[in-house]
Amino acid sequence: MIPFHVEFRPGATIYEQVVYAAKKAMMAGQLRPGDAFPSVRTLSRELKINPNTAHKVITHLVQSGLLEIRPGAGTLVANRPQASPAEKTQLLEEQVEQLVVESKRLGIDFEDLQDAVGQHWKRLKLRGTERT
Amino acid sequence: MTAVIRTEELTKRYRGLRALDRVNLEVLEGAIYALVGPNGAGKTTSIKILMNLIGATSGHATVLGVDSTLIRGKSYTEIGYVSENQEIPGWMKVGALLQYLRDFYPTWDRELEDSLLKQFDLPRDRKIRALSRGMKMKLALAGALAFHPKLIVLDEPFGGLDPLVRDQLIEGLLERAAESTVFISSHDLTEIESFASHVGYLEQGTLRFSEEMTALAARFREVEITCEGESRVPSPVPASWLQLKSSAGVVRFVENQFAEDKTTAEIRRHFGEVKNVEYRPMGLRAIFLAMARKGDEA
Repeated sequence: MIPFHVEFRPGATIYEQVVYAAKKAMMAGQLRPGDAFPSVRTLSRELKINPNTAHKVITHLVQSGLLEIRPGAGTLVANRPQASPAEKTQLLEEQVEQLVVESKRLGIDFEDLQDAVGQHWKRLKLRGTERT
Repeated sequence: MTAVIRTEELTKRYRGLRALDRVNLEVLEGAIYALVGPNGAGKTTSIKILMNLIGATSGHATVLGVDSTLIRGKSYTEIGYVSENQEIPGWMKVGALLQYLRDFYPTWDRELEDSLLKQFDLPRDRKIRALSRGMKMKLALAGALAFHPKLIVLDEPFGGLDPLVRDQLIEGLLERAAESTVFISSHDLTEIESFASHVGYLEQGTLRFSEEMTALAARFREVEITCEGESRVPSPVPASWLQLKSSAGVVRFVENQFAEDKTTAEIRRHFGEVKNVEYRPMGLRAIFLAMARKGDEA
């Protein structure tokens, strides 16, 4: 089983979307340092993607230092320092941009948008964790 | 990179009808090439010519380095071909069919045969006439994969099959795709979109485009323009703008040569200052419909 979720939408290439999903999973703790990362075969089979694309994904993640290949153990999630707030925010760039674009289209001003975000922030808790 | 399939001005005429009109396409080694297009576009005709089941009227095709008209025994042992309609003797049992096929292929792999049967849930003892449509298709695919073919050719393999069977076929195919080249004609665009590396669009015998999936996705956009006041339809409409429609203050069309700067500039030239322009990427199904509907326009 692949321990992270990928939902394909038109827009970014399949390769980009899988890399993105993997990075998010690492930041959200679904993939922890030392965890085995799915093989090319597993990625290809479960996500129904071209094995070449799966290979590209893993190569990229290895080259970015997010995965490491340990002889005998396979491909594992690398031990990396925690991602910076800037890096984490960058992953949500698309959603943030969308929110800003839609707000401007509807003529919502910045203060009202901030209020709306603040309200949701106070109200919502991740199920199973204490977080504000 | 060698071309595993290459066609040059491939043409097929039936009396007055041009089933294929000067088709030039190339499938590179290791590609998963999807040939798509409306019914009657010539997809099955193309495949039959490539497999040397029918002859072309003019032009050439080369498969695995061999002229398609010269494809005989040896070439067939390197090609796994699954056609739309499986005509396998109903009285044969699954195991017997595979045993029969084994002798034709020097590279037949018994272990792979076993693992494919297990993966596809096919009992050796079942008579083929007792198999459902989906199981027959899985059996045909197993028979085409068990000898590690260099080229896998599938003609509409998913027709009328339920999602589970489709999934199983795709999984089986993708597992072998790493060591083969795949040529598949299909209407199931959402399925193939996730694994095809290249797409060719055939319409009434003409190959309208043939390119990498990523390039195709990059140049097609649904464009929505919100005008200041009433919308105007530009005249003439730029050739790359398909399906242009307008209503109230909104104009919508499909841009098939999208490049952000160029397209935005062209929109400004035709529409002047507008309230908003939105570009939406399109999946393969939406692209197909935009192309297919082109013919509907008066």
